[in-house]
Amino acid sequence: MKKTLWFVFLLFALLVAACGGGTATQPAAGENPAPTGENPTPTLEVSAEPIVLHVGWLGFPDTLNPAYAFLTESYTMFDFVYSTLTTQNPQGEYVGLLAEERSVSEDGLTWTYKLRQGIKWHNGEDLTSEQVAWNINAFIQNQDGWVTNSGYITGFVEARAVDASTVEIKLEYPISNMDYRVSFLYIVYPPDFESFATPEDLQNFTNFSPVGSGPFKITTLDKDQRIIILETNADYFGGRAKIDQVIYQTFDNSDALVQALKVGDIDMTNEVPDSAFAAVQTFENVETISRQGLSLTELIINSAPADHDPAPTRNPALEDPQVRLAIASAINKQDLVDVVLQGNGKPGVNIIPPVMGGGFWYNSNIQDVAFNLDEGNRILEEAGYVKGADGIRAKGEVRLELRLQYPSDSSTYPRVADMIANWLSEIGVKATPEAVDPDSLVVATNPNADYDLVIWGWGADPDPDFMLSVMTSEQYVEGGWSDSGYSNSEYDQLYLDQQQVIDRVERQKIVWKMQELLFRDKPYIILYYGNDLEAYRSDKFTNFLDSPLGIASFQSLMQVEPVK
Amino acid sequence: MQESWLLFKRNLADFWKTFRHNRMGLMGAFLVLTAILLAIFAPLVTTTSPNEIIRDANGRGLTFAPPFVHGPLGTDDAGHDVWAQLAFGARISLTVGFLAGFIAMFVGSLLGILAGYFGGWLDNLIMRITDVLLVIPDLPLMLVLVAAIRQLNLQISPLTVLILVIGLLYWTSTARLVRSQVLTIKERQFVARARAIGAGHIHIIRNHILPQIMPLIVANTVLILSTAILIESGLAFLGLGDPTQPSWGTMLNFAFDRNAISNNAWWFYLPPGLAIVWVSLGCVLLGNVLEEMLNPRLTGHHLEGEARVVKITGEEAAHAQHLG
Repeated sequence: MKKTLWFVFLLFALLVAACGGGTATQPAAGENPAPTGENPTPTLEVSAEPIVLHVGWLGFPDTLNPAYAFLTESYTMFDFVYSTLTTQNPQGEYVGLLAEERSVSEDGLTWTYKLRQGIKWHNGEDLTSEQVAWNINAFIQNQDGWVTNSGYITGFVEARAVDASTVEIKLEYPISNMDYRVSFLYIVYPPDFESFATPEDLQNFTNFSPVGSGPFKITTLDKDQRIIILETNADYFGGRAKIDQVIYQTFDNSDALVQALKVGDIDMTNEVPDSAFAAVQTFENVETISRQGLSLTELIINSAPADHDPAPTRNPALEDPQVRLAIASAINKQDLVDVVLQGNGKPGVNIIPPVMGGGFWYNSNIQDVAFNLDEGNRILEEAGYVKGADGIRAKGEVRLELRLQYPSDSSTYPRVADMIANWLSEIGVKATPEAVDPDSLVVATNPNADYDLVIWGWGADPDPDFMLSVMTSEQYVEGGWSDSGYSNSEYDQLYLDQQQVIDRVERQKIVWKMQELLFRDKPYIILYYGNDLEAYRSDKFTNFLDSPLGIASFQSLMQVEPVK
Repeated sequence: MQESWLLFKRNLADFWKTFRHNRMGLMGAFLVLTAILLAIFAPLVTTTSPNEIIRDANGRGLTFAPPFVHGPLGTDDAGHDVWAQLAFGARISLTVGFLAGFIAMFVGSLLGILAGYFGGWLDNLIMRITDVLLVIPDLPLMLVLVAAIRQLNLQISPLTVLILVIGLLYWTSTARLVRSQVLTIKERQFVARARAIGAGHIHIIRNHILPQIMPLIVANTVLILSTAILIESGLAFLGLGDPTQPSWGTMLNFAFDRNAISNNAWWFYLPPGLAIVWVSLGCVLLGNVLEEMLNPRLTGHHLEGEARVVKITGEEAAHAQHLG
């Protein structure tokens, strides 16, 4: 009897402990006293309790300094906190944001931006044209410091505040995608960024309490709890959002994220894992959205030129175009979409996703290599690769044994690697899958060129320029974007041309030609375009903006309202 | 030769006579044997290969299908048959576990005998290495080693790396155990006499020491097997296995990565988990019973008289263990 009583006590104690642990993880419960009712903000007069939107995600920004940010999570926050001269609207067109009007001179060398009236920083000061010009000039003059902006300001000469509300940007040559470029130049509060003497000092600045001009301001950023609390900016020039607070909460594990959505701990997430999407669709009071987006997943084939320093370390067979073709024909992309993405995506062909610019930039003339293992075997047989006793093909000394690596932070790529390795084994190619720490993989691909095959992905910009730049040879330097090491002078020239052709149709021709070159040489085998998978609690919030910008875009959160 | 064979047969018969009355031992043997049989006859008890994608009527991969919608255990996130994965996974898990266990046993016994028998600086050296390895936590050390070895791009398969790392790091407890036994045995009179009539070291170790510590080694090996299988599963769960060859650990790894829990796909994560419990429980039961039977000193309490220990039978031994 005594023993059982003890056991009951123990069980009770455990239960209490478990419940305690459960509530502690909820950010609003005690971490942040602001929403509990003592806060005398004007919003409280309207409604008794502030309206809080809880967003769940799987990452956390490493910095909020636009000069040196590489994680998507940082850019999500920039969009809330900062403003840019232009932005994309839900239809995919560029419109002014800070700029009310914008115009370009006859020769295409001078852009004039007329700013809106009454734009204020989060601290109440006025945002001036001088400050905007200071930003652009800082990006131009200190490219070693403002690294992440440097791709967007090539060809810029200088910026000038013409009068109190007008900024002028002078260019070296006409630029075809100016609206897109300035839409990534976040205008920061100059006093925060003026004092740094060296590029390193600038980059080390984490800027975790940023002053911006965007629709939300960050009031709390807790790196240990991994919680970000954003307050609505009541003075925002585009109007006031209908919610009072947005709380971003990081989950370590996607199952925990999914469960939080199921029980209503979070109201929204735009990172539903592919493998859980079908399950989320069955949840009560949860609306799901599966939308073609701008992300792509590819198989990178080591294409670094032989004279690259350091010399490429790879299986020499990969230099043979027939081997690349055989590998391409042995990958069943439809199966990858059906199994890995659970149907939420499209088989990949080009480096430009099909939805970019409404399909305008995607070369639809290219017919993908069909999945055919017999054909793959035949191609290798003809190219002189003979099957050995162990089933692995070889030509002389060169055995078709390849490393198949992928970043270890992905939960999708191990399955992709497993499936590709199985298909390749059927054409006599032995691929050994291996998870590698992402930082090591960056160095292995560029500049070390020490890999055979790598599975990785990109999130494309809305303009083709960025994805095309990834394949230029000038990006294959330490810190550059290229990972395949692809080097083709014809391609490089076409890349420069498409930047300067103002006529959209002319530019499209060049962009299509570039995709043909990439399809022919196969530095990448594009595996699939995964959909953006989003979900929200329809019993709590409504009026999300379902557009290619995503339901977590600032445009969407500006119009979200609670269900009455 | 003939004589020793007969002796061995008689010993074996005696052993079996005691063993078959020991319910825990039989249970352990049953658990381990069924797993081994499953591994051996995997192609006979399954209808599909573990890496084949099961398709629905439209030719699309049939993912997360519950049991009996497809096969006895349904399909996983990639449309693979879970039963086939489990059966073929037994091959990898048991092979890695057994090979690693045997390597650990061999290295541990060898070093233990050397340290215990020769003593001096050799003993000191081996025991200090053992101390260092015992102090460093196993799993993190193995993680680092597996990752580091793979970085070297040696042409060895991921499974071989796993076997070697587990085997070459997990011998420490065996070495300590064997050493302490050898230390007591080498002081016995028969060893001293053998030495006095001029027997060499190798002769003494082979003919006088090894037979004495063999029971200990056998029992310890079975126990190490369960640890090796658990560690293999742990490393594979952390993504260090070979994803193209299913093992129980890689199955769990995929179940975790691919949201089996959110999909309520219990048929995906429970079977490999239970299979690991099945085999390691079997090894532990078997190992404990073997240790007890082969090493009679363990059966009694240390305060009880020697006389009782001599008389003890198998049934009593089992009984004693229940109480203790």
